[in-house]
Amino acid sequence: MRIAVLIKQVPGTDNVKMDPETGVMIRTNKGNIINPLDENALEEALRIKRSREDVQVLAVSMGPESAMKAIKEAVAMGADGGVLLSGRAFAGSDTIATARALAAAISKLGDVNLVLCGERATDGETGQTGPMIAATLGIPVQTYVQRLEVADDAVKVERVVEGGFEQVKVQLPALITVVKGINEPGFPTLTGKVRARDAVVPVWGADDLGLSPEELGLKGSPTRVVKIFSPKLSRSTLLHRQDNTGRAVNELLKFLADRDIV
Amino acid sequence: MRYNPVNGKIIDELKTIVGETNVVLDPEKLAVYGRDEVSEADWQHRPEVVVKPESAEQIAAIMKLANREMVPVTPRGAGTGLSAGAVPMLGGIVLSVERMNKILELDRENLFMVVEPGVTTGEVQKTAREAGYLYAGDPCSADSSFIGGNVAENAGGNKAVKYGTTSRHVYGMEVVLPTGEITTLGGKCVKDVTGYDLVHLMTGSEGTLGIVTKVFLKLLPLPQYVADLLVPFDDMQKAINIVPVIMTHGGIIPTSVEFMDSLSIKAAEMYLNQKLPYSDAAAYVIIEVDGSSERQVEEDYETIGNLCLKNGGLEVFVADNKSTQDRIWKARKCYAEALRVISPVYCMEDIVVPTNRIPQALEEINRIAAKYAVKIPCAGHAGDGNIHATLLRENRDEQTWHEVKEKVLDEMYRAVYALGGNLSGEHGIGAKRKEALARFMDPVQLNMIRSIKKALDPNLILNPGKIVDVE
Amino acid sequence: MDIQNYKGVMVLGEQKDGHIRPVTFELLNRGRDLADKLGVELSCSILGNEIEDLTEIIYRGADKVFHVAGPALAGFLPGPYARALVRLVQEERPEIFIAAATTTGRTVMPLVAAGLKTGLTADCTLLDIDDKEKILLQTRPAIGGNIMATIKTPFTRPQMATVRPRSARPAHRDESRTGLISVKNYGDSPVSAVERFLAYVPDATQEVSIEDADIIVAGGKGLKTRDGFKLVEELARLLGAGVGASRDVVDLGWASYPHQIGLSGKTVSPKLYIAVGISGKVQHLAGMQTSETIVAINRDPEAQIFQVADFGIVGDAFEVLPELMGALKNAPGRRLREGSEDNAL
Repeated sequence: MRIAVLIKQVPGTDNVKMDPETGVMIRTNKGNIINPLDENALEEALRIKRSREDVQVLAVSMGPESAMKAIKEAVAMGADGGVLLSGRAFAGSDTIATARALAAAISKLGDVNLVLCGERATDGETGQTGPMIAATLGIPVQTYVQRLEVADDAVKVERVVEGGFEQVKVQLPALITVVKGINEPGFPTLTGKVRARDAVVPVWGADDLGLSPEELGLKGSPTRVVKIFSPKLSRSTLLHRQDNTGRAVNELLKFLADRDIV
Repeated sequence: MRYNPVNGKIIDELKTIVGETNVVLDPEKLAVYGRDEVSEADWQHRPEVVVKPESAEQIAAIMKLANREMVPVTPRGAGTGLSAGAVPMLGGIVLSVERMNKILELDRENLFMVVEPGVTTGEVQKTAREAGYLYAGDPCSADSSFIGGNVAENAGGNKAVKYGTTSRHVYGMEVVLPTGEITTLGGKCVKDVTGYDLVHLMTGSEGTLGIVTKVFLKLLPLPQYVADLLVPFDDMQKAINIVPVIMTHGGIIPTSVEFMDSLSIKAAEMYLNQKLPYSDAAAYVIIEVDGSSERQVEEDYETIGNLCLKNGGLEVFVADNKSTQDRIWKARKCYAEALRVISPVYCMEDIVVPTNRIPQALEEINRIAAKYAVKIPCAGHAGDGNIHATLLRENRDEQTWHEVKEKVLDEMYRAVYALGGNLSGEHGIGAKRKEALARFMDPVQLNMIRSIKKALDPNLILNPGKIVDVE
Repeated sequence: MDIQNYKGVMVLGEQKDGHIRPVTFELLNRGRDLADKLGVELSCSILGNEIEDLTEIIYRGADKVFHVAGPALAGFLPGPYARALVRLVQEERPEIFIAAATTTGRTVMPLVAAGLKTGLTADCTLLDIDDKEKILLQTRPAIGGNIMATIKTPFTRPQMATVRPRSARPAHRDESRTGLISVKNYGDSPVSAVERFLAYVPDATQEVSIEDADIIVAGGKGLKTRDGFKLVEELARLLGAGVGASRDVVDLGWASYPHQIGLSGKTVSPKLYIAVGISGKVQHLAGMQTSETIVAINRDPEAQIFQVADFGIVGDAFEVLPELMGALKNAPGRRLREGSEDNAL
C-alpha cells in the first residue's frame, strides 16, 4: 500500500509579522514548521505503516525550495521518501491551481492508494485544497476525520460534524483530511534525522508534471486578490481603567443594565 | 511585638504618596497579595495594605514613612515565588512593583537592556529576541514572573548550565535601601571592582536588603539554531550519569539538561491527557543545544544523541523547530501544575548537589520516600545538580502530613548536606526554609547575614522574618 | 466560458433529517442582498429525499427553490452531492453560488468548484457586489491573522464562496412572498458502492453548543494558567453563560476544542460576549464580532479586542473578575438570566 501525505510548510505562530508601514506580511524562512494538522496526517500514515506489512509513506509538498526542510522532517519522522514541487511556474497559485499540481504529482507517483492531509493549514485556513485534489483525481474524499480504519480496498472513517459524528466507508483510492484529535504526532528520531539528511528527494517542476504554465500559478488560478487591508473595526468603545475603587465594574454593570442584559 | 499596625493616618499618607487608587484595602484583594506559589496555608499571611508605587521616589517615601512608623514592608513582584519570600508574614505593607513595568532602554552598542522591575521575564526575553539578542535568564515561570523578582531571588531555570543564573546577566541596578535612600549600583560597565560587589550582594537577597527599581541586563547575540533532544532511559542512574559524559566525552556544554523521573512523567501524561513516548521509562532527559550555525548544532546533537544511545538511552527524539520543541517541553513545563492536580497540597523542595552526586541524592530521596511512604516525584535541572523533589500530601490529614513532612525534610536535608549539597538552588529560603537554614548553615555564616542585614536595615523594616531571624 | 450566460444568485440550503437547517436562512439573507444589488433572481438549492416545508425558503427571500432529490442524496456524501450540484449549476447557470462554511459546505463546495473549474473563496465574512464591474467581492481574514483579503473571480462562473455560519442574521420571514419550487429528480444516479454512509452518532459528551448560548464568557492566554482560566468558567457559571476560548487556550489544553471561537473554531453571535485576556487577532474576531454586545477585559490598552468592544476595562483579569463576580452576587434585585445546567461548562 502506498500512502501520500500532503504537507505544507507554514510559518511558526510567532513568525509572522506585519510591516507597520505597508501592512504587508513579512515572512522569513527561519522558524517555519510543518502545518500542524499535516503532522497529524503524517502520524496517521505512520500508524498505518506500523500496523501493516508493505506500507510505503511518501511526503508531498509544494512550495519554495526551503520547503525541502518540511519533507526531510517527514522523512526523519518515518516517511520513506517524498517529492517537492517547486519552481517559478507554481508561484501565485490559488487553491484550484495548487490542487491541479498536487493531483498531477500524485498521479505521477503512481499506485497511490490513500492520500492524507490536514483538514486545513494554519496560514491560509481554506481547507479547500484536499477536496479539490480528490475531485481532480476523481477519487472519493472524506473530511474532518478523527478516526480511520484501513482495510485492503476500503477505509472506514469517523468524521466530526455539527453535533456529532458520521461514520462512512469509502473505497480506495481515496483522500482523507484529518482533524487534530485523530492522534498525537510523534517526533523525529536521531536515526531518522541522519537518514533524512542523506535522503535524496526529487524536485519536480511543471514540465515533470506535464502541466503547462497556463494551468499553474496566477494564470491557472480563477481567483484574484483585489486588495489586502487591515480590518476597520468599528464600535464606539466605552473604555474604563481598572483601579481599586470598583468604579470600572460598577460602570460595566450599569452599562449592561441599560442594555437590559444583566 | 516591635511593629505597629497600619493605622488610618498611615493609609492617608500612603494615598498622598502613590495616589488613592493605588492603595488597596479590599480584604478579598489583599488575600491575593498574601500568598505566593507555595500551596500550604502555613505560608500565607494577609497584608494590612497593598501599595502600588510607580517610581523610586515614591518607594523611598514609603520606606521613610515605614521606618518612622515602624511598619514592616514586603516587596512583591508577580507572586510566583516558591519560598513565601514575598508573603508579609508579619503583616504591614506589601509594596507591589506591578505598575513599574516599562522597558526603559535597549542599548545595541553596549548590548544592554534597562528595565523596570515589574516587566515580566517573558517580555524581556521577547523584546531581546525580536531585536536579535538573547536574554539568557529563563526560569520556568518566565511567562508570568517579574524580572525584579528574578533579580531578588537570583532565579535559575532551564538555561543555567550554559548561561548561568540571573546574577550572571545583572550588571547594575537602581535600588531603594531599607532606610529610603536611592542609589545606583554598577551599570553598563562589564568589568567593575570598584569597592565591594554590591550588585551581587543585592542579587539573591530576597528583597531583604533593598527594593530594585531599575535593572541593567546584559544581552548576548541570539543563537540562530536550537535543537532539543528527548531521551527516555530505563534506569535513573543511567539517565543522570549521562550528564558528565556529555560534558567531558562530548566536550559540549548544552544550554540545558533537564530530567523527569517516572512519577513526574506519569503525572504529566495524566495532566495532558495524551500518551507520551516511552512513558513507562524510568526517566526522561531533555537536552538543549544552541549555536550560530546549523551544521554545528546538528553535529552537537548527533554527538550527544549517540552518547545517550551508547549509555542506556532507549531512543533519541530530536526537535529542531518550534512545533516539535513545544511538544517536547510541554511535558517538562506542565509537570508542576500536573502535580497540583494529583495533590493540591504539596511541598516542593529545591535541593542542589554537585552535579555528579545527583544519582546518590535521588537514591537517598527514594529511600526516604519508601521509608515514610510519601510519594516524592523528582524532576529538575540535571545539568546543574538542582533537584525539585516534591512531597505530595495526597489525602493525609493535616496532623499526619505535618509530622511526616518534617521528618522527611530533615532526613532529606541531612542526606543532601552529606553529599556536599545545599538547601536551595534557585527558589530561595524566604520564610519557608528559615528554620531549616538555622539548623543546617554554618553559624559563622548566619552571623554574617545578620550583620549585613542590621547594617543596612537597622529597624528591620524591609521584608522581616525572611532567611534568618536577626534577633 | 461565456460568463454572460450566467445569471442570478444561488445559495446552497442545508437540511438534516428533512428539516431545513437555520443556517439556510442566514445564506438567504446574504443572497437576497446580493441579488437585489444585481437586480437578479435568488434561488436556493437543497438536496435530500423528503424535505418539509420548502415554502419556508420562499418566505425567507428565495424566488426559486430547487429541491434536488435522489436515493443517493438522503444523507450527506461528498461524491453524490457534488455530482448533483455540478449538474444543477450547469443547468441553471447562476453567476454566484454560495454555501455556508459548515462541514458540509466546506467539503462539497471545493468538489463543485474543481468540477466546474471555477474559483472558490473559503470562510468569507463579507460579501458585496462591485458597483462598476457587477462582480462578487469576497472578503475573508487572511494569513497571519491581522489582515483581511478581498478576492474576486473575474473570468469564470459561477463565482463561489462559503460564508461563516452566524456571520449574518437569518433572513426576515414574510409569508406574503411567493416563488417557484421545482424538483430536480436526479434519481437515476444509483447509490454508489464507492461511498457508503454507515451511521450518524450524536455526540452525547459534546458539552453545550456554545452557538446557542445567549451569553458567552471567553478567555484567552492572558489568564496565564489553566487555573486562571477557571475564573472564566466561574463567571460563566454565575451568568448562566457558555464558555468560549481563544485558539491559544485550546492549544494549551485549558479548554477543549468545542469551546474554540474564531476562524478555526466556532462562530458565535450571542447577546453578550465577554472577552477576558483575549488580544483579539482577526481570526478570533471573525468568530465573534457579530455579537450584539461585546465586553472586553484586558491588561493591554492597545489590545485589538477593544476596537470591537462596546465596553472595555483595561485591567488585570485577576482583579476585575473577582470584583465583577462579587458585585454580581451582591447586586440587589439583579436580573440574572436563568443559569441552566446546559449552559454551564
